[in-house]
Amino acid sequence: MRLGVCAAALALAGAAAAADPQAGKSKAAACVACHGEAGNSTNPAVPSLAGQPEKFIATALFMFRAGSRQDAQMTPMAKPLSNTEMNDLAAYFAAQKTAAPRHQTKPENAAAGPEAAKKFNCTQCHGPRLLGQQQMPRLAGQHYEYLRAQLAAFKAGKRADLDGNMTAAAQALSDKDIEVLADYLAGLGGE
Amino acid sequence: MRAALAAAVLGAFTIAQAQDKPAASPPPSWQQGKPAAMQESTLHPFAIEMTGKAAKDLPVDKLKVPAGFKVEVWAEGMPGARSMAQGDKGTLFVGTRQLSDVYAVTEKGGKREAKVVLKDLDAPNGLVFNKGTLFVAERGRITRYDGIENNLDNPPQPKVIVDNLDPNKQPGHFWKFLTLGPDGKLYFNIGAPGNIVMPTYMEASVMRVDMKGTLETVALGVRNSVGMDFNPKTKELWFTNHARDWLGDDSPNDTLHRVSRKGMHFGYPYCHQGDTPDPEFGKHRSCKEFDKPALKLGAHIAPIGMRFYNGKMFPAEYQNNIFIAMRGSWNRTVKQGYNVMRVVLDDSGKVTKYEPFLTGFLLDAKSDPPMWGRPNDVMVMKDGSLLVSDDQNGIIYRVSYGK
Repeated sequence: MRLGVCAAALALAGAAAAADPQAGKSKAAACVACHGEAGNSTNPAVPSLAGQPEKFIATALFMFRAGSRQDAQMTPMAKPLSNTEMNDLAAYFAAQKTAAPRHQTKPENAAAGPEAAKKFNCTQCHGPRLLGQQQMPRLAGQHYEYLRAQLAAFKAGKRADLDGNMTAAAQALSDKDIEVLADYLAGLGGE
Repeated sequence: MRAALAAAVLGAFTIAQAQDKPAASPPPSWQQGKPAAMQESTLHPFAIEMTGKAAKDLPVDKLKVPAGFKVEVWAEGMPGARSMAQGDKGTLFVGTRQLSDVYAVTEKGGKREAKVVLKDLDAPNGLVFNKGTLFVAERGRITRYDGIENNLDNPPQPKVIVDNLDPNKQPGHFWKFLTLGPDGKLYFNIGAPGNIVMPTYMEASVMRVDMKGTLETVALGVRNSVGMDFNPKTKELWFTNHARDWLGDDSPNDTLHRVSRKGMHFGYPYCHQGDTPDPEFGKHRSCKEFDKPALKLGAHIAPIGMRFYNGKMFPAEYQNNIFIAMRGSWNRTVKQGYNVMRVVLDDSGKVTKYEPFLTGFLLDAKSDPPMWGRPNDVMVMKDGSLLVSDDQNGIIYRVSYGK
């Protein structure tokens, strides 16, 4: 019986073409120091990694190592990592359960947020429920301060993205739009 | 006076309104040309694994080849592996598009090893190896690395053959395939600047350049060709081409082309697959004016690398066949492709058969993503086996026959 359950779990992991989450966990100590237990960050400036798409995490690590994305803390963390280590870390954090958002969206943004997410094409890539997919990050439940900072950086052309689409999308955002989107997304739960 | 005042007021109002409500975000560049009727479509291209995937984590046992053939993983650990060229001493050079590296695969003491040999290049997709020299086509230039195979640990500085091929540095199909003609000239593509856009001078073409840098146009009306080869029998250039997106699941076909004379025009942006006027640009020109494809390959199937088979290993009926790697489809609700296809020609160069050769990358035509790997280029090794690169995972497979 136990064997049966184990085999089923393995089959699922195989379908997702996962790297090695156990190997990832053993390397994740340095990550969780800032990104929180199991990748659920409690620091508003540091993004949560739990439940992020595996491919998004690996791609972000790649960009930090390549230098196209820069950050005083992350750049030196990513520099020594091999592709296999990046894939294992991505598999580990992708498999962790996302904590319920602590952020409370303002009532006016609960209505304005979904409209803005559609108008600015967020849902086109990040998915109808903004849970992320493939190389696109989950936005639902991410930290409000982090989201604001990233959107502003995309708008200013200071945050690299894989294909330029996020930089292009952010050009149309006013400060108010950034505020609405960050407030709405940070309070958004859902599995 | 009143009219001027009204215009001024209206102008001020428009600006105020614009500041109050900025325009919606531009859609992603790959959505250019998406018609209003398809606005709700969630179809999207698939990004590669920038850190690669290990073969052990992938269902490589699903790969299938015809009876008598065998397929195996040949090398891995080369994220974004695309075009391939083999050196005189056996080194396999592998180019990339989304990364900035060229890899070299060598064998040492019976062990195969892949490493980055050139880095910090601008989409070094096109590779040709000839008489000790590696030629590399980046987005904006074509360069040569003389004697590189003797200096893999310390490659020489490149010499530029032609530069400034990408002056605008805008999004567009500007990565290049590269092949060497029997005339000693290098053939390459300059694609269209978007999905369906009126090309400007030199765009949407196949070009050639000699070793002194003299440029000539070979073919026009070519939206995006990233695979070409010369027919060893007739010495004619053949190439694959990607047609436009967002015209529905079954239209238009991607195509295979035969260049029987210099200056042929294959129709883009006015006419697709030789017979289908573009809904927007079709009114400017007639399909009758343009040269026809040699074969319609299937809609949105994304043909990339193609090579004539002239090796000694495969059965005789494979001589002078064309193998084509299909990297798509994405712009279709039910996916197709993700195979290496076989094209059989008769002595006059007419297509007599078109069938799958290597299959198994497509898992579920309706899921997202539908595939676990994507064939990108094919290359005939000196021993007659066929290598297939998979840029989704950074893996190269080898197809052999017999034994």
